[in-house]
Amino acid sequence: MKTSDAFRERLLGAWVEIRENLGRSVLQALGVLLGVASVLGGFSISDSQRKRADEMFVKMGGLDKLNVQPKAAVRDGRPTALQQANLGLRDEDAVGGEALKADAIHGVSRQKFARARVVSPYGDQDRQISGIGGDFIPANGYGVARGRAFSASEMDSGAPVVILGTEAAQVFFPKGDALGQTLRIGTVPVTVIGLFEERVFRFREGQRNQFWWRNRIIAVPANLVQRRMNGDAYRRVDRVTFRIPDLGAMGGFAKQLSDLLRTNHRLQEDFRLDDVAARIRRRNSQGDVYDIIFLLSGVLALVGGGIVNVNIQMAGLKERVREVGVKMAIGASGREIFKGFMTEALLLTALGSLAGLALGVGFSWIITKNLGIPLYMTPASFLWAYGLAAAFGFLFALYPAWKASRLSPMEALRYE
Amino acid sequence: MNPIIETQGLTKVYGSNGTAVHALRGIDLTVAKGEFVALIGPSGSGKSTLMAILGCLDLPTEGTYTLDGRQVQGLSGGELARIRNEKVGFVFQSYNLLPKASIARNVELPMLYAGVGRKERRERALALLEKVGIADKADKLPGTLSGGQRQRVAVARALANEPALLLADEPTGALDSKTGAEVLGLFRELHEQGNTLLLVTHDPSIAALAERRVEIRDGLIAFTEGAA
Ligand SMILES: Nc1ncnc2c1ncn2[C@@H]1O[C@H](COP(=O)(O)OP(=O)(O)OP(=O)(O)O)[C@@H](O)[C@H]1O
Ligand SMILES: [Mg+2]
Repeated sequence: MKTSDAFRERLLGAWVEIRENLGRSVLQALGVLLGVASVLGGFSISDSQRKRADEMFVKMGGLDKLNVQPKAAVRDGRPTALQQANLGLRDEDAVGGEALKADAIHGVSRQKFARARVVSPYGDQDRQISGIGGDFIPANGYGVARGRAFSASEMDSGAPVVILGTEAAQVFFPKGDALGQTLRIGTVPVTVIGLFEERVFRFREGQRNQFWWRNRIIAVPANLVQRRMNGDAYRRVDRVTFRIPDLGAMGGFAKQLSDLLRTNHRLQEDFRLDDVAARIRRRNSQGDVYDIIFLLSGVLALVGGGIVNVNIQMAGLKERVREVGVKMAIGASGREIFKGFMTEALLLTALGSLAGLALGVGFSWIITKNLGIPLYMTPASFLWAYGLAAAFGFLFALYPAWKASRLSPMEALRYE
Repeated sequence: MNPIIETQGLTKVYGSNGTAVHALRGIDLTVAKGEFVALIGPSGSGKSTLMAILGCLDLPTEGTYTLDGRQVQGLSGGELARIRNEKVGFVFQSYNLLPKASIARNVELPMLYAGVGRKERRERALALLEKVGIADKADKLPGTLSGGQRQRVAVARALANEPALLLADEPTGALDSKTGAEVLGLFRELHEQGNTLLLVTHDPSIAALAERRVEIRDGLIAFTEGAA
């Protein structure tokens, strides 16, 4: 109780001192304010940018997916003998891969593409056809807006059914009555059973839709493509995707999968895995440079402000020698004087920091608004900004406070 | 009875070798509890220096000093601050109030350093201001008071922790004779209530109020007059 009482009294004294010397105090707080605003603003802008990039990444395919695609197996600049044996990426690879880590894998999807002439009463175009299997629709962020998704038996049997993206629906059925209608893909008549939701993602407001091409999708069961459009006896696929939300498990799984596939493919490197490690590295290092620059500029502002503060404090101390002497005469110890000066400096730092945080928020808000991205601020940025200011405030307050505390009471009282 | 002040061979040298000033050259002084002593002497004779040492604001170069039973020489800065806080009350010629703190807060401050609780501090400060006759000014700033009133505040502040010793260095030096006389009246009252008083003055009529007069010359006690 006694300590908290003494602390409150010091705080009160410090507040009186700050208020009585408003001009000087504002000047001292300014360095802190700018430093804090610069650190917070910088971090927040870079966080906002990174968050937006993350959002795009997640919506586009996400960090949680591992793709396997076929690749030409080349040795010494020539196709290997086995490449010519046409092993390729097959259904077994997807099934075998899933069995490796069934608990960590939240979904597997297969894709088999074809190019075909697509004909409706309104349109006739050469288009890419996506044969999809497994959990393709949810795993790739598609949703069925109207109608329904493929049933398991339709997937299995390769039923002649199709789900259209908004662009495809617009092209082939501009009147908007696509559901239930028939399209011809190559020679195969298929029935429209569903329509996908529109996919939209703009990095910044007003920019073009990054996902426009996703609305061009014409999705049919993968088995339909394999059996009736672009298949072969090996039942090869063009892409297998594993969804693994646990990023930690992803690296190990990629290694295991790679070993399994190499074994399955008679030791040929005729497949290609996403480079997960590089992807994670890239994501983690995104914006790091900016963070360092902002941190540095904030630190410089704080150091500059700190040095100015030491000067102001030392000049102020001259005016206050007598006050220190009086306090010592009536029983204040050097330690008490030290604490008093420190309290004053730290209170000033705290006030300056608060103003700086407010300025930093405003600053970030204006910049992100102008960039057209949503503002995203993390508690960590606030802590960094505040912590740095407090640390520098403390460091630079030490010298003047120590000087004041070392005054001899007699000399201080005689000081004119 | 135990003396409040007991010094032996106190010397004080300012500066070093070439420019050394011997402000005190060997002071043996004993002041009993409840005594009222006037310290007189010409300017530059060392009165303020002696007061500073007796008040533990400064340490002697040589000699021993016992204040209210406590050996002072060799104590640390923190311990001296504590002694000043608990045992000594100062009244200066130039008041030395803190200009930014209210009258009441000025009086509370020594109690704050002593760790007295907030309520008790306030109550005691008001009682002391009552005692010196300016209770109505408690929430004013020192700058708004007259010299006499300010010196009363200083006296109240000096009494805050019920010190064993009151030291006053020309307390009326900056006051006109009328207010000076009022403040002196206050000191006499305090003496009558049993406080131990040491007062520096140039004025023989003020010195005459004391029980004992000690004259300092060139850092030495020239003579003592009155009951010892
Ligand atoms: N801090 C100091 N440094 C150097 N010399 C000092 C210091 N303080 C006092 N002196 C010297 O010591 C001597 C005694 O000074 P002191 O202030 O004690 O005299 P005093 O008797 O109080 O005089 P006055 O009546 O004018 O107040 C003087 O010669 C003074 O110049
Ligand atoms: Mg003097």
